[in-house]
Parts: sequence; C-alpha cells; structure tokens
Amino acid sequence: MARAAHPDAMKPRGPQRTRTAPPTAPAEFPFAGRYRTYTLFDWTGIVYLLAGLVALRVVWALGSGESAWSTLQQQLANPLYLAFHALSLVAVIFVGVRFFRLFPKAQPARIGPVKPPPQPVLHAMLYAAWVVVSGGLALVLAGGIF
Amino acid sequence: MAEKKTFEITRFDPDRDEAPRTETYEIPVEPDWKVLDALNFIKDEIDSSLSHRWSCRMAVCGSCGMMVDGKPTLTCKKPLSEYGNRVSVAPLSNFPIVRDLVTELDGFMDKFQKVKPWIVRAKERAVEEGTHRQSPAELEEFKQFSMCINCMLCYAACPVVTNEPDFLGPAAIALGHRYNMDSRDQGSHERNEIFRGEGTVFSCSYANECSEVCPKHVDPAAAVNQAKLNAVIDWATSFVVSREKE
Repeated sequence: MARAAHPDAMKPRGPQRTRTAPPTAPAEFPFAGRYRTYTLFDWTGIVYLLAGLVALRVVWALGSGESAWSTLQQQLANPLYLAFHALSLVAVIFVGVRFFRLFPKAQPARIGPVKPPPQPVLHAMLYAAWVVVSGGLALVLAGGIF
Repeated sequence: MAEKKTFEITRFDPDRDEAPRTETYEIPVEPDWKVLDALNFIKDEIDSSLSHRWSCRMAVCGSCGMMVDGKPTLTCKKPLSEYGNRVSVAPLSNFPIVRDLVTELDGFMDKFQKVKPWIVRAKERAVEEGTHRQSPAELEEFKQFSMCINCMLCYAACPVVTNEPDFLGPAAIALGHRYNMDSRDQGSHERNEIFRGEGTVFSCSYANECSEVCPKHVDPAAAVNQAKLNAVIDWATSFVVSREKE
C-alpha cells in the first residue's frame, strides 16, 4: 500500500454512513514519476535560503571594512563555494524554465477589458526578458556599464 | 488464444477487514479491452464480490476513476494494451475507501457546494425579458473549464489535497472559476471571498498534476492559478469599488 495521506483528506463534514479505510497518498508522491520534478522544485527553496545567507554575509563583509571584504573574496574562491554557486545557477535555470512553462496559462482570460497576449507570445516575451536581463547583468559584471 | 494478464486489485470490506489488502487475479484479456473491461470480467466471471463504480463506458459520466499502476486513470478510456502483464488497480488516492475500489464522495460534494457552482444573479430576469444572451467570445472564456466530468482524478493526483484537508481542490475551484468567468453570472465577489477564505486557492503550489491527469483536458491548474489572480484583483478593487452599487 502507498503511504497514508492526511487522515482527514476529502473527509465529509457530516458523519460517514459506513466505516471507511483511511485515504492513501498518490503512490508516486513524492519521489517517483512526475512528482520528482515537483519535489525537486520545492527543494530548490533550500538552495535559495542558503544563497540568501551568503548574500547577507557579503553585505556584512562590505560593511566591515576592506580586510573583511578581501577575506570573503578569498573564501568565495573555495571550490565548495564555487560548487554551491554552480548548484544555485542550475536551481535558478530549473525554476525559471518551470515557471516560464506554467506562467502563460495562469493568466486570466482578461483583466477588465484587457486581454493578455497569446500564450506562445507570452512564452517568447519571458525568454526575451530573461536574455535581456542576463545580458545586462553580464555587462555590469564585465565592467561595460557603471 | 487470448493473452493473459495478472491484476493486483485492492480489496476492502468494512465489515471484515481492518485495512485494505491486495488480491490477485489472472484473466484472459482481449486486445481491444479497456481497463474497465477487465474489472467487469473479474466481477462477472471470477469474483462477484468485487465492488467498483462505472456507468457510461464512454468517458462522460466520470464514475470509473481509479489508480491504475499508481496513476489516476479513467478506466473506461485507458486501453489495457498500454500496460504490462501485471496491472495494479486501487481506489483513488486521497479519498477514504468505502469498499474495494469505491471511494467516499461526500467530502468532494461538500467542497463542490462551497463554490456555488451555479449562476448567481443579483436580481432574476423576468421570463418576458427573454434569455440571457452570450456571444461565442464570452463562451470561449470559460468553455474549457465547463468540460469537467467530476471524475476526481485531479483530487487523486494533487499533493496539496494529500496534505491539506481544507483545500477546496482542483475541480471545485475550476468550476467556481468557470462561473466567475461566465458573462451571465454576478456572484464572483461571493466566490472570490470563498477562494480567499477557508480552503484558499493560495494553498495550491502549482504542481500541475491535476492538469496532467485530466482526461478531458480541462486544465484545472490553469483555472486555479487564474482564480488566484482574480481573487487578489477582487480584493484590491473592493477598496475602491463599492460592492453595494454593483
């Protein structure tokens, strides 16, 4: 048998007419089949939490003087940090692609009199925005702007 | 000679069994059979005590939803040829089990009624005024969501339903959204309050499984996530637009 669902899942509000067996969770949830992708998507939250902590550490080092900043830069060159940032990149791309796939159909048919563009156009707009923002950030990091 | 397949079927008799168990049947199957045909063969020829729901046999009534090889499946629609030699059939996940493959539906009906799945009018139109007219474009806005046959496969696939008993669930929200989008309806504020309240639409984490398993391509995940945005817009506009005057 599959693992149990919440014992009150889909339970009627009134008294049940017969004794029932408790509900079970979908057999593939959470680690098999299509649920694997969904669970991985959820787990990327841990990566973002850690990335947020790293960002706080960077801000703290910036406010703590030049030596703290250069120490942090040395630490960030550590292979473990590099591996973590590579993992963060993979997580961002994974979530981005999933979000871009699901976002267009979540748009309502209209908001007041305004209708959203067709789904393929929305798709293209999302990817175009991603390319433009990534390109802009790459230019900033390369010293091309500012 | 007909091919043989083995079926592992969940059995549960509330008068005798403490918990569901599995029983195995080996039966000859025809190439054109659906999963439901095999269940009916077992009931007719081998074990008349087997309980399962079915009615129309043409994917319209939504009665015969079950877990086949762990996936929510409309058994009258799914060809048996798509499975291997061993096929497991279990009652829909996330529902209490009444007997064998039959699940308790009252919880679903409770959720269903909450979203007021009917046209709400502030003032009913007099018969002399004629019918409510609707353009094809207005119909198109919600038609997809009105194709639901209440088979409940979406509930069996939803990981939020697994963990949050108060969640209204995909089909009920899709139906509420369908009426919110109907040009004849004036009850969207009432429904949006329900969507924002207990069993909130915001519990949905957009796993999209409901849409993956929907046999009628209703796309409940789209409806739920459109309903989220509409519920927020309705809340925001409630500060500037008086509901009484509408």
